[in-house]
Amino acid sequence: MNNKKRFLAGVGLLSAGLMLGACGNGGSDDAEADGNVTLTWSLWDTESTVYYEPLVEAFEAEHDGVTVELLDLGSTDYQTVLGTQLSGGDNKIDIVTVKDIPGYSSLTNRNLLEPLSERAQDVDLDQYAGTVEQITIDDEFYAVPMRNDFYVLYYNKSIFDDAGVEYPQNGMTYEDYDQLMRDVSEKATESRGEKIYGGHYHVWRSQVQLYGILDGENTLVSEDYSFLDPIYEMAVSQQEDEIVQDYASLKTSNLHYSAAFYQDNVATMLMGTWFIPTLQEAISSGESQEFDWGIAKMPIIDGAEEGSTGGTMTSLGVSSNSQNKDLAYEFVEFVTGEEGAQVIADTGTIPAIQSDEVINKITSIEGFPEDEQSKEALETTNVYLELPLDENASEVETILNESHDNIMTYSTEISDGLKNASEQVSALKE
Amino acid sequence: METQMKRDSLKKRKLKERLTAYSFIAPNFIGFAIFTLGPIFFAIMLAFHQWDGSNDMTFIGLDNFREMFGDDRVKDALWNTIVYVLATVPLTLACALFLATLLNSKIKGRNIFRTIAFFPYVASLVAVAAVWNMIFHPVNGPINEILRMIGILDPPRWAADSEWAMFTLVLFSVWKQMGYYMVIFLAGLQGVSEELYEAANLDGAGRWGKFWHVTLPQLRPVTFFVLMILTINSFKVYDFVYMITQAGPGTSTLVLVYEIYNTAFLNWNLGYSSAISMLLLGLVLIVTLVQFLGEKKFTNQ
Amino acid sequence: MKSNKVVSKFFIYILLIAVTITMIFPFLWMLSSSIKFDRDIFIFPIQWIPDQPVWSNFIDIWTRIPLATFIYNTAKITLIVTLLQLTTSSFAAYAFSKLEFKGRNLLFVAYIATIAVPWQAYMVPQFIMMRSLGLNNTHLAIILLQAFSAFGVFMMRQFYQGIPDSLIEAARMDGMNDYQIYYRIMLPLSKPALSTLTIFTFVNTWNDFLGPLLYLTRDELKTIQIGLRMFITQYSAEYGLIMAASVVVLIPVLVVFLSLQRHFVQGVAAIGVKG
Repeated sequence: MNNKKRFLAGVGLLSAGLMLGACGNGGSDDAEADGNVTLTWSLWDTESTVYYEPLVEAFEAEHDGVTVELLDLGSTDYQTVLGTQLSGGDNKIDIVTVKDIPGYSSLTNRNLLEPLSERAQDVDLDQYAGTVEQITIDDEFYAVPMRNDFYVLYYNKSIFDDAGVEYPQNGMTYEDYDQLMRDVSEKATESRGEKIYGGHYHVWRSQVQLYGILDGENTLVSEDYSFLDPIYEMAVSQQEDEIVQDYASLKTSNLHYSAAFYQDNVATMLMGTWFIPTLQEAISSGESQEFDWGIAKMPIIDGAEEGSTGGTMTSLGVSSNSQNKDLAYEFVEFVTGEEGAQVIADTGTIPAIQSDEVINKITSIEGFPEDEQSKEALETTNVYLELPLDENASEVETILNESHDNIMTYSTEISDGLKNASEQVSALKE
Repeated sequence: METQMKRDSLKKRKLKERLTAYSFIAPNFIGFAIFTLGPIFFAIMLAFHQWDGSNDMTFIGLDNFREMFGDDRVKDALWNTIVYVLATVPLTLACALFLATLLNSKIKGRNIFRTIAFFPYVASLVAVAAVWNMIFHPVNGPINEILRMIGILDPPRWAADSEWAMFTLVLFSVWKQMGYYMVIFLAGLQGVSEELYEAANLDGAGRWGKFWHVTLPQLRPVTFFVLMILTINSFKVYDFVYMITQAGPGTSTLVLVYEIYNTAFLNWNLGYSSAISMLLLGLVLIVTLVQFLGEKKFTNQ
Repeated sequence: MKSNKVVSKFFIYILLIAVTITMIFPFLWMLSSSIKFDRDIFIFPIQWIPDQPVWSNFIDIWTRIPLATFIYNTAKITLIVTLLQLTTSSFAAYAFSKLEFKGRNLLFVAYIATIAVPWQAYMVPQFIMMRSLGLNNTHLAIILLQAFSAFGVFMMRQFYQGIPDSLIEAARMDGMNDYQIYYRIMLPLSKPALSTLTIFTFVNTWNDFLGPLLYLTRDELKTIQIGLRMFITQYSAEYGLIMAASVVVLIPVLVVFLSLQRHFVQGVAAIGVKG
C-alpha cells in the first residue's frame, strides 16, 4: 500500500483534484453484501482453450456462491498486460496463470505472488515429477504447475515411407538424428521430385539450445555456454546444407511451425506436446495436407538418460493483493490437483500430473498415432525447463535470444556468439 | 488622474486578455496536464528511483544514470538510433518532396495517385510489415530474384543480415511514412504562387532551376515543420523495429525506445527505463533546438 | 518544343506507375492473402491468385470474433477523440497564436517537449493513475489518453500563425470579442486545417494498439487492432483471417481520407507559413 500512497503523493503535487478522485476509489469493492464471491482468473486464449470452462464449472459446482470469472489478456502480450494490470498493488485479479519462467521470476521479484508452501502442506508434490522443485526459491514456491508440456519429435510417416528410410526411434542421439535428417531429406527429395526437408527448427532459441542441457550437467543460465558449441555446429551445418529451412527466412516470413509441418515437405520436427491435438484437428479439418504421422522421444546427447526432454510449464498462483486468497488457493489446488488434471486430459491436453491414467487418456483420443512407439514417446524421465529459475531470468532470456539470432543468421561465429552470451550473463551476476 | 484611469483600464484590458487566453487553453490544458504532463513528471522523478511498479520505490540518486553510461546495450541502442535518424530523416524528406512535386503536376487521375501514395501510411502495420518481409525475403523474395536475374549472384540477406538490417529498416520506414509527409509538402506546394513560376519562365529557367530557385525557398516553412516532426518521430521509432527486425540480428537494430520498452515491460526496471528515456529526451531536445536555431538564422539571412 | 513536352509527360507517367506499383503492393498482397489458407500465405513463390480461394474467411471474421462490436467500439472512440481533439486543439492554438499572456512561451515549449518523450516511458504511471480514477476498462480512458495531444495544438498553432494579425485587429475594431473572432473568423478560415487534423487523428486512433491493449481487457470493450490479435493464439496464427479483417477495417479509413482529401491539401498549405 505504501508505494501506492507514494505514487499518489507524487501525482498529487501536480493535481489536487486527481488526489481526491484516487482516494475516493480507495475502498475495497469485492466484499459483496450477499456473501457471493467472484474470483478473477487471468489467462489467455479463452476461445481456443477447451478446458477452462469445464474446470470453472466443476469448481463452481462444489462451491456455492462462488463465481470464477475469466480475464483473457491475450497470448502474445500476456506478460506485458498482466504485469501492468497487477502494478501498483491492484487487487482485481485473484488467480494468476504464469506462462513461463521469465514471467514467474518477474512476478516473484515484484512480490506479486503469494507464497504457497504452507498452504500446500498436504499436497503430494511428488506427483508433479520434480517440476515444483524447479520453481522453488529459498524453500518457497509461488505457483503450482497446471500444464506440463514437453518436447517430442513429430515425424511425417508418409515422407519416410516414400524415402524408404526407417522411422525415428525412441532413444536416438542428436548425432543419430542429424544423420537421419540428412538421409531422409536426400532420399525423399529424390523419390518425390520436390525439395523435402529432413527436419525443422522453429525460430525459438530452445529448438537448438535445449539439446545441450539434457544430460543435466549444464543449465541455460550459465557463465560459460561453450557446452552448446557442438549442438550449434551441427544445427548450423544442417542449415547450410539445406537439410532444414533457413532460420532467417523463417523469421522474416513469419511462417508458423504448424504451417511448415502442414506443407507435407518436412520430415521431422521437434515440438511441444501441445501440438498433438492441434495436428489431429488440422488434418481432419483440411487445414493441413493429409499424411500419417507419429511421434518419438526427443533425441538426446551423450550422457543423457533416455526419456530426458525439454519442457514448458504453465502454472497457477495466487495474487498477493487478492482479497480472497483462501478461496483463490482452493481453486488453484483444485485445478492443479488430480481432479483438474482429469478434466484437462479429457480435452487431449497434457496436465502437470502425468499419471498412467492421464497418459492413457491422451493416447486413446481419436487421431493419435496407433503404433506402440508413439505411445512410449510420452514417457519421460527428466524434464528440463527452457530456462531455469533465476533472478535475472528475463534478462538472460533476451541475451540467449540475441545470441541464437546472431548465430543462426551467420552474423557471428558460433564460438564468438556463445562467448559473448557468457560474458553478458556473467556481467548480470556481478 | 486621467493617466491613472488609463493605466487602470490598460491593466484591466490586459487582465481580461489574459483570462480570455487561459479560458481558451483550459479545455485542452487540463486534460493534457492530468493525463500527459503529470505522468511525464512522474517518469522524470522515476529516473532517480528504483521501482518495479509494485514494491516500494527507493531513491537512488544518479545511480541509474551512472549504470546507463556503462551499459553496452544502451550504447548500442544509442548508436543505432543516431544512425537510423541520420539515414531516415534526409531520405524521407527527399522522397516525400520528390513525390509531392511529381504528384503536383497537372496529370490525369492525380487524386487517385495521391491516395495510393498515402496508402502505406494508413494500412495496418501488421499487414504492411508482413508483405514487406515477404518481398525482401533473404532467399526467395522477389527483390532478390530480380537481383539474381540481373547478375548479382549473392544478393544481400536484408533484415536477416546484421550488415544490412539497419538499411532494410530505414528503407521500410521511408516507404511507410513518405506518403504522410508527402501530403504536407503537397499542400505546401499549393501555396507557391503561379506568378513566381511565370517570372522564372521569363528568365528562361529550366525545370531544375525553377525547383531550386522558386519551389524550395517557398517551401521552407513547411520543410521546417516536417523536419521537426520527422526528427522527433524517428528518434522515437519502435513499432517499425518491432515488426521488421525485432532489434535483430542480435542487437544490430536495437534502438533506444526498444530498450526502454524491454527494460520496463520485460524486466520491470521502471526507474532505469525512465533514465534511458531522459537520455532520449535530452538528445531530441538538443537536436530540435539546433534545428530551430538553424531555421531562425536561415530565415534572417 | 512540343515533342519535348510529350517526352517529359511520358517520363512522369512511367515514374508514377513505378511509384504506384511500390505503394499498392501491400494492398494487393493483403487482398490475395485474405482468401488463402493460413498455410499458403507465407509460401514462395508468391501466389497472387490462389487456386482455391477461401472466401469463407470473409464470413468467418464476423463469427470467430465479435468484429462488429470491435468496429463499433473503435468508431465510437475514434469519433469522440477526433471531435475533442479538433475543438480543444483549435481553441488552445488560438490563444497560443493570437493572444498575449504570461507564460505563453513556457507553456508552448512544455507542449512541444512532451512530444519528444516516448510514451513507453510513462505508460505504467499513467495506467496506475487512470485506474485509481476508476477508468480501467472504460472507453473513457482511451479517449482521455488520445484527445489532448500536443501534436494537435502544435499543428493548429502553426496554421493560425499564417492568418494575418490585421484580420483579428479589424474584427476587434468591429467590436467582436475573442470568442466571436474564434468562431466567426478563425474556424471558417481553418476548415482545411481542421480536415488535416481530422485525418491524422482519425488514422492514429483507428490504428492505435498499445493503449487499448493495456486498458481494455474485456471483449465487449475491445477495439479492432486488439481484435486482430485474437487470431494469433499461443499455438497458432490465422493470418488469412487477419488479412481479411484488415481489408475490411481499412475501408472506413480510406473513405474518410478520400472525402477529406481536397481540404486536406489546402489545409496544410498554411502550416508554418510564418514559422
